[in-house]
Amino acid sequence: MTGEPGLEQRYRRVLCLLPGYYREQWEEDMVAAFLDSWLTGYPDTDEYVLEFCKPGWQEVASVILLAGRLYLGGAGAPRRYFAWGQAVRYTVLALLMVHAVRGLDGLRLVFLARGLHPVGIVPAPPAAMAPVPGIAWPVGAWYLAGYAWIVVFAALVLGHYRAARGLAAMAAALDLAWLAQGQLTGALLSPYGSWAFWMLHDLVPVLAMAAFHRDAPPVARWPWLLALPATYLLVAVPELAATATGHQAWVPDLPGQSCILVAVLCVAHTPRALSGRAGTGVWSLTLVLLAAAAAAYRIASFGDYLQGHYLQDPHLINVGLAELLILVAAVALVAPSAARAQTAMPAAPLHPQPG
Amino acid sequence: MTGQAFFVLTALADGPRHGYAIVGDVAELSQGRVKLKIGSLYGVLGRLAGAGLIEPDREEAHDGRLRRYYRLTRDGRKALAEEAELRAATASVVRARLGRRGPQVAG
Repeated sequence: MTGEPGLEQRYRRVLCLLPGYYREQWEEDMVAAFLDSWLTGYPDTDEYVLEFCKPGWQEVASVILLAGRLYLGGAGAPRRYFAWGQAVRYTVLALLMVHAVRGLDGLRLVFLARGLHPVGIVPAPPAAMAPVPGIAWPVGAWYLAGYAWIVVFAALVLGHYRAARGLAAMAAALDLAWLAQGQLTGALLSPYGSWAFWMLHDLVPVLAMAAFHRDAPPVARWPWLLALPATYLLVAVPELAATATGHQAWVPDLPGQSCILVAVLCVAHTPRALSGRAGTGVWSLTLVLLAAAAAAYRIASFGDYLQGHYLQDPHLINVGLAELLILVAAVALVAPSAARAQTAMPAAPLHPQPG
Repeated sequence: MTGQAFFVLTALADGPRHGYAIVGDVAELSQGRVKLKIGSLYGVLGRLAGAGLIEPDREEAHDGRLRRYYRLTRDGRKALAEEAELRAATASVVRARLGRRGPQVAG
């Protein structure tokens, strides 16, 4: 004996990834089946196997996937895991909606550029979108990804999870290509914020879309589909109004808009959160997750203020800190309800799909 | 019903089996196309048990460990029969269409 953990102990360590309630019910059975799959019935061989072998990566991956599905629970899961599952699903939808809003704005810019807008104002494209001389494809990739995110959002809402995942991975790759070329050519004006945005709004949702599994309850279609144009108007109308009246300097940058938008949603949700009505806790938990994403984006963007193009405006950091404070104060209103969501949720309906 | 669930239910159709026996039976039934890892197997078993299609049968000691056996419930047997009917009907349509035009192999 070497004193090293044997095959069984190694597998049990992997199983520690699973939630406690699940291990209590299934661990011994899983260990027995796992060891059965290794043992040969020849004592010498089995002794060697038990002492020196390790679970294969496919075996470990199957446990990780199972753990992901259990923690992001669906129908029939314990209320704590169901609450987390729902909150992650709502958060993914909200993050994707930001992309979809960007896609809609891309459409608006294209219409404006072609003179199809009834008002007839043709603004310059965003500074960050200025094409590098001789390289035209990044702008096309940016617009194409924006349109793809609209389809991803709609596909997810309508229950086409697999199609949404595949298209989301492609859209994230397009965004990554656009970012990478900007980084390599020096065209990226705010690299810290841009990379943070990609990680928080591309990578995280693509990974967290695992929460949309077979046990996940269907998304409420109409509220989410209507939320897209509503959010677009909520963001675009004040921005256009500020631009039209010459007050563009009052419009916060994208990290600031994220903080303020989430703060407004927290304040709007507070009366419901305080009422303690069933289901409000999941939304509170969702808002806490969105606030964490907005705060991370805001903090990462400070890197851009400390160097590069924004050095000339020291007030930006103060404004950013104020936005963070507003966000923290607003999220504190719903945090207690979010904490209660994990224990006070009504039991999830027991309608799991076979297989 | 997923392919994995269908094969697991089929493995239990002629009597209770323990976890690893199900893995082996599924591999045999699918002619090696479905190789369940233990994490995947218990994901499927958990869902099927949650849907009331299978249930624990008994536990037996083997090499100092307990093997738990699973069996089909009445609902499970009914669901498997319906799924088999559906698949058989689909297969006969496929065969009929292939028969009309004949198998065409590229190249």
